[in-house]
Amino acid sequence: MTKQRSSNKARSKTSVGWISWLWLFKFATVLLVVGVVVLVYLDAQIRHRFEGHRWSLPAKVYSRPLELFKGQHLATGQLDYELTQLGYRWVKHAKAPGQVQKTNKGLAIYSRGFRFADGDEQGFLVEVSLQKNTITDLRQPSGESKALLRLEPQLVGGIYPAHNEDRDLIQLNDLPNGFIETLLAVEDRNYYSHYGVSPWGIVRAMWANIRAGAVVQGGSTLTQQLVKNFYLTDRQTIWRKLIEAPMALLLNIHYSKDEVLEVYLNEVFVGQAGKRAIHGFGLASRFYFGQPLNELKLHQVALLVGLVKGPSYYNPQRHPKRATKRRNLVLSVLAQQGVISDDQKRQYQGLPLDLTEARQVSRYPAYMDVVRQQLQQHYQASALSSHGLRIFTSLDPWVQRQADTAMAEQVKKLNQRHGKIDGLQGALVVSHRDSGELLALVGDYNGGYAGHNWALDRSRQVGSLLKPVIHLAALETGRFSPVTVIDDGPISLPQPDGSLWQPQNYDRKSHGKVPMYEALAKSYNQANVRLGMRVGVDKVLQQLSRMGVEQSIPEYPSVLLGAVEMSPLQVNQVYQTIAGNGFYSPLSLVRQVTEANGRLLSHFPFAVRQAASNDSTYLLQHEMRMVANHGTARGVYRYLPKQQQVAAKTGTTNDQRDSWFAGFSGQHVATVWLGREDAKPTPLTGAGGALHVWGQLMQNLAYTAYEDIKPQSLEYYYLNVTTGETMPKSCPNGVWLPIPKTSAPSFNTTCGY
Amino acid sequence: MYKNKITSFKYFSLISLVIFLGGCAAPGYGPIVEDLSVQARASERLPASPNNVSTKTPNNTKVISQPPVPVVTVKPKPYVAPKAAVTITAQPISNQVVTQLAAQVAIPESPLPASDQAVVEQLLTEADQLKAQGKVTQAVIQLQRAQRIAPREPKVYARLAALQLSLGEASRAEQLALKGLTLVPNKKSYQYYFWKLIGASRSHLGNSQGEAEAMGQAAKYK
Repeated sequence: MTKQRSSNKARSKTSVGWISWLWLFKFATVLLVVGVVVLVYLDAQIRHRFEGHRWSLPAKVYSRPLELFKGQHLATGQLDYELTQLGYRWVKHAKAPGQVQKTNKGLAIYSRGFRFADGDEQGFLVEVSLQKNTITDLRQPSGESKALLRLEPQLVGGIYPAHNEDRDLIQLNDLPNGFIETLLAVEDRNYYSHYGVSPWGIVRAMWANIRAGAVVQGGSTLTQQLVKNFYLTDRQTIWRKLIEAPMALLLNIHYSKDEVLEVYLNEVFVGQAGKRAIHGFGLASRFYFGQPLNELKLHQVALLVGLVKGPSYYNPQRHPKRATKRRNLVLSVLAQQGVISDDQKRQYQGLPLDLTEARQVSRYPAYMDVVRQQLQQHYQASALSSHGLRIFTSLDPWVQRQADTAMAEQVKKLNQRHGKIDGLQGALVVSHRDSGELLALVGDYNGGYAGHNWALDRSRQVGSLLKPVIHLAALETGRFSPVTVIDDGPISLPQPDGSLWQPQNYDRKSHGKVPMYEALAKSYNQANVRLGMRVGVDKVLQQLSRMGVEQSIPEYPSVLLGAVEMSPLQVNQVYQTIAGNGFYSPLSLVRQVTEANGRLLSHFPFAVRQAASNDSTYLLQHEMRMVANHGTARGVYRYLPKQQQVAAKTGTTNDQRDSWFAGFSGQHVATVWLGREDAKPTPLTGAGGALHVWGQLMQNLAYTAYEDIKPQSLEYYYLNVTTGETMPKSCPNGVWLPIPKTSAPSFNTTCGY
Repeated sequence: MYKNKITSFKYFSLISLVIFLGGCAAPGYGPIVEDLSVQARASERLPASPNNVSTKTPNNTKVISQPPVPVVTVKPKPYVAPKAAVTITAQPISNQVVTQLAAQVAIPESPLPASDQAVVEQLLTEADQLKAQGKVTQAVIQLQRAQRIAPREPKVYARLAALQLSLGEASRAEQLALKGLTLVPNKKSYQYYFWKLIGASRSHLGNSQGEAEAMGQAAKYK
């Protein structure tokens, strides 16, 4: 460009002469050559981009699908919540996918169908009968009973490339009725008859705008808009203006109208969610309405099409009035052009925007963090952010929501109760008791993301949470049972540095001789250290290692009281083994990875490894149930019905720097940590802090029976715990305890006092 | 002056030519082609972790001596994923062993009572069909689905273990059967079945003593 300008100046100086004509001729020739060269170059670019790998598609991360089957227990409000999150619409008569209807017996759901890693699930209409949150029947309209139905999983995140473009690819046949008519009426009326550029279109648009008194139509064709978005960036404004029209012409020559339109539908920019750029109508539909594009009604179509003109100015979430006005204008254009009648226009204009209520950004930052870590061990970053992989995880959106809520509400309450606790942080891990799958992760007290994932990459002292490991190691020797009496008197232990360590009980008292289960229930430090020393610190650490803590830990006696820093995730792994009947199963969260077309790439098979005998684990589980029934964890029954059995342990570290609670119910294993970011003392014990988060969480999860499966080699006896002998059931103060049959207690027919 | 002009045109053409050739030689040239060599980290949904995971030293235990209570830091290690099986790579069990095994225990047929949940039976049937079609991984996926739905259903463990054994994953099969045993303290047919399966797995692993032990246990429940 600059060259041309300087040559113009030169020409005005040499006023006349044949030299300048020759020169001009040469100049024109060069220009022609350059023009042709540029055209050839543009042509190559157009074809390259259009026919190659058009977009880098982020990996899509899905939650677990909700399985519906006879006998399934759901939590109160869970089904409604999950359907809403999936963008189901509540209607009077469900007759299309994505609709749900209340019935006398429960709900009629018209599912959408989904391509899972193990095959396609067809969408169909089914009536779900519910009694007290339990599914009693699944019946199709034909009357046929259905054993099992899988809803679609929620899309819970993506792994985005650096430019943060996100899109859901669609094809022309994914469009709802009236979509193309609306788009063309507003953006490019003669799309199917022009040559990629349309001078008449510009004139017509101006006229339409003057008549409407507002800008209702743009002058450039869809082809030109595509060229602008697809091939050109904002930086090259002058160059861009010059080549936009020729490129549009070239595009029009090379490709069919339908092909160009399809690319346009996927390329168009329609909104911004934080750093993430929403491209294409497929994603726009999900982003704004929470529904697949093909389910949209005309008023929603009109809104999407209207957004093209100014996605941020007409942002329906921020500026609902502007957006409504714009949508109604689009509907008026449709009526003017005879696409819809005036009655229809008024009807649609009277409808609300119908935006989705589901939160759109960053709902699961802590969980996604771990998903990404796991995937990076198997896939390259570029593959994750560009190949459109589909990642199926075990994230349970309901459990995650309850976990987030419990953490936020309880931290708020604790701050109110104790006055503001500076920098109080929290983390929560929830896994499935039998499969070891991670269901939810909270990495920050307010569910947001302040920088650290406290569940994962921060370790804190675990305190009394290691006591169950001492007990397990003791039980594994075969020399101990829950009634074995331990001395809770003061104890001094030499340290490696020559000093003496004298651990004290929380209440600074000694409790004499106590049965082992009581030492755990009341979390007596002196008795538990003595037990650990009798078993051997090395044995306790070996047991810990079998439960998933593989790092080497020096054999200091102080380790027995939890002078070990672990992340909440690691603690949960240890408790997972206890909950899993002594079988270690690695916490997992990615179930399968498939390619965009559904081809299975990876699958993570369920595996277990025995870490302790079933008998010992059962005895420990029983001790931990007593911790919850009458020990330091009994506060959970302020949240849970008495008949709901849970096994748990509290943890408090020196000066109450850390408040822990870990345990399991029939279905879930969960670990809670609370503490200050700077690890300074707090007013919270395990029972005074973390317990409340744990209790509220469990209260709001679906209830499943604990299912006590006693090994054959154990028997329950009614025991006098001071003597370890059985006593008649009529005596007060006795305790039912499981004891190995081989060490059966001696019988005593008196109450022993 | 004139010469200068010519020179500058030459440069202009040259530049155009270079651009053109550049366009030909490397179709990725120019600002319009997106950069695919990007990190997956920069995103609002996936905030970068402050600690770069890869720089952590998982096995390096830091000891803070804080007498009289030394504190041991178990460094947060990068999340260790369970072993992924893109394809199940272990050697399939040899025919002879399978035959022998089938003679020893009827795998996975009749002795096991039907699950009281229809949905479990449906998934087990689907898994069988998939396995018969050679879609072993899909069969495992269906069985794991059944396990999530009925986590204490021993039949699911029996099928999972048997399937793993038939794939030559004897160690995995043994452990699954051992866990299955914890679910059936009073169900003789299952105890017999699981011990037989454990015996067969140990045989495959070359653990003859363990095999004999398992077979001895199985005999108790015959």
